Amino acid sequence: MMISVRVRAFARFRELFGERFEVAVPEPATIRDVVMAVGQSNANGMGELLDSGGRVKSSVIILVNRERVTGTHREDHPVADGDEVAIYPPVAGG
Amino acid sequence: MIPGKVRITRDDFDPGQILQEARSGTLGALVSFVGVVRDDGIERMDLEAYEEVAEVELARIREQAISRFGVSHVDIVHRIGMLKVGDHIVMIVVGASHRKAAFEGCEYIIDRIKESVPIWKKEYTAEGSRWVAGEHE
Repeated sequence: MMISVRVRAFARFRELFGERFEVAVPEPATIRDVVMAVGQSNANGMGELLDSGGRVKSSVIILVNRERVTGTHREDHPVADGDEVAIYPPVAGG
Repeated sequence: MIPGKVRITRDDFDPGQILQEARSGTLGALVSFVGVVRDDGIERMDLEAYEEVAEVELARIREQAISRFGVSHVDIVHRIGMLKVGDHIVMIVVGASHRKAAFEGCEYIIDRIKESVPIWKKEYTAEGSRWVAGEHE
């Protein structure tokens, strides 16, 4: 069973992957599944999102339904059908 | 309810007017910070935000400054969109009974904005464009 997740990307990631789009991932899905699906959509994408060990880079900020997900196990955070997952690089406002 | 507001806008703002509107008989100190587009050899700068989250985060920072420093007025206005050298980027006004809390609250707010509010800057030069690196890369 596949679920559909709404993705929003900002700044450099918006230029690489698009501003708003949907990805289909198999259930039960995690942040890691979504990040992998996003990364595969661009030839340079994986290098931007994953470190040399295959982990999601700590500099990639991830929000699920507008709440930031942090911690060493954030890749395992569950994602449900219809969720909004946002990815962005470190912020630079002010 | 502490007076003041949080706003993300595509329009310019008038620092004098914001400061004037913050005045009240109970405030002994008003500290303001205005961030301006600096000429680093750039022609213009495009500011992008995750607006829904940025507004919530600005409001959260405002509440934290109020509870941490006991300040009694906080305005935060942040612009997005295309700006040129000299344009206003952000304004923070913090009012308190005494100057120390107002200074500390104002510095706390700008530091937290740079750390956690989802806003990015892209600079355009004669040669091309570049994203401004965050201070918390």
